[in-house]
Amino acid sequence: MAAAHVIIARKEIVDHLRDRRSLASTAAYALMGPAIVMLVSLSPEGQDKEMPVIMLGMMSVFALVSTFVGGMNIAIDVMSGERERRSLVPLLMTPVTPRDVVIGKWMAASIFGLGALGLNVAGLVIVLALGAPATLVTHAALLASWAILGLGPLTLLGASLEILVAGLSRTMKEAGTSLTLVLFAPMIIGMFMVFFPVPDGWWSVVPIVGQQIVIDAGLRGGPAVSLPVVVLGLVTAGCAWVPLAAAERVLSRDDLAA
Amino acid sequence: MIEVEGLHKRYGAVAAVDGVSFVAPDGQITGLLGANGAGKTTTLGMICGVVKPDAGTIRLDGAAAATIEMRRRLGALPDHQGIYSRLTARENIRFFGQLHGLSGAGLEDRVQAAVSLLGLVAIADRRTAGFSQGERMKVALARALVHDPPNLLLDEPTNGLDVPTVRTLRRLLEDLRARGTCIVFSSHVMEEVSALCDTVVILAGGRVVAAGHPHEICRGTACASLDDAFMRLSNAEEVPVWLPRT
Repeated sequence: MAAAHVIIARKEIVDHLRDRRSLASTAAYALMGPAIVMLVSLSPEGQDKEMPVIMLGMMSVFALVSTFVGGMNIAIDVMSGERERRSLVPLLMTPVTPRDVVIGKWMAASIFGLGALGLNVAGLVIVLALGAPATLVTHAALLASWAILGLGPLTLLGASLEILVAGLSRTMKEAGTSLTLVLFAPMIIGMFMVFFPVPDGWWSVVPIVGQQIVIDAGLRGGPAVSLPVVVLGLVTAGCAWVPLAAAERVLSRDDLAA
Repeated sequence: MIEVEGLHKRYGAVAAVDGVSFVAPDGQITGLLGANGAGKTTTLGMICGVVKPDAGTIRLDGAAAATIEMRRRLGALPDHQGIYSRLTARENIRFFGQLHGLSGAGLEDRVQAAVSLLGLVAIADRRTAGFSQGERMKVALARALVHDPPNLLLDEPTNGLDVPTVRTLRRLLEDLRARGTCIVFSSHVMEEVSALCDTVVILAGGRVVAAGHPHEICRGTACASLDDAFMRLSNAEEVPVWLPRT
């Protein structure tokens, strides 16, 4: 017999795979970055000598944002959506703990988050291979390896933040508004660092900041794997437990059933 | 059997439940009767474990109910049934069976038994989006019964249902009572409570103001109907509280 959180995760995945509008929206957001980079690379300005640097910056920000995109819709649906539809209370009346419920839902959100990240990175790799200036093509494999080590754990953290914020929201509308603000975190940090790069330092293991540093370094030809990236991945994945613990407390509150 | 002793629950300055005690025996239907805000849903929430009591004890079949394991001995139908609209009726029921620890052929047998019991065979493999209120209630009830619990809690189960569905539900509850299931259900439909319940517990302002067979309550309050008795007992300023049977 499967553990309760696995049963819940499986149900959420099956349920969400049937929400075609949500899947289409997630895929569109995940592929928006590669599409824009493709358009820029095909334009006459795309052949400009300075353009590869700008495109690298754009790609890193899009990749960073994609870590938060894939889990957003499902997090809203399984937390505030369930609360709004009053299906959370029957779930909590079964012999499962709030922790099982939170972890199950987070696992499902993470899987969709990783899917969106995979779609984004695959799109960027294809764009680089097909239409980008030759100087960028060599970076495609590096981009993939940085994505797995740096961005994979950030997806887990993003999904846990989304589960918490959606759990704190009483309605799906409220959750959507709040999560749009959460999505700004990687976007603003990423954009800021494109224009004001920071040198290596202790902040290279701070989630989001560290990811931006390593993606940028990777795209510019840095080493494929290094110790700071591994440490960053571990720190980021470890940080995912903090919002999950807070979400568990939210589901233990009496007002959910009141 | 469900035993509730001295339950208290406050939300800020409001005492939602203020010293509620009652016993719901096996093979009987116990009705929790009360106006809106009387404390019925909060009491049921505490029995189910989703609301933490400030004080008091709840025992399920003789053991403390506040454990995850004891929830396997309980089936619950909350006031809003909350089924998953993108899953089929069968998938909804199966999911809850899995959460109650069922698996493999045993799970499928129990799912099929619940589907048959509630008359859901024709629609079992349809997604529940678009189901009528009665069909949704049946799915939710099948979900609560899939693990064959010895104790069943129903919070206003007939709300919004048409007459045939209410009759189906009544027959089902009578069958479950005959099989020895302990059933507690809350309602404010007097006719339903009079027809079904062996014992009625009337709540007002978070307190038990009367308990006993509907006829006993009518006699004790010198009222011709449970309806009248309820109205008098629900308004403490109108008449003194009729002491519950011990």
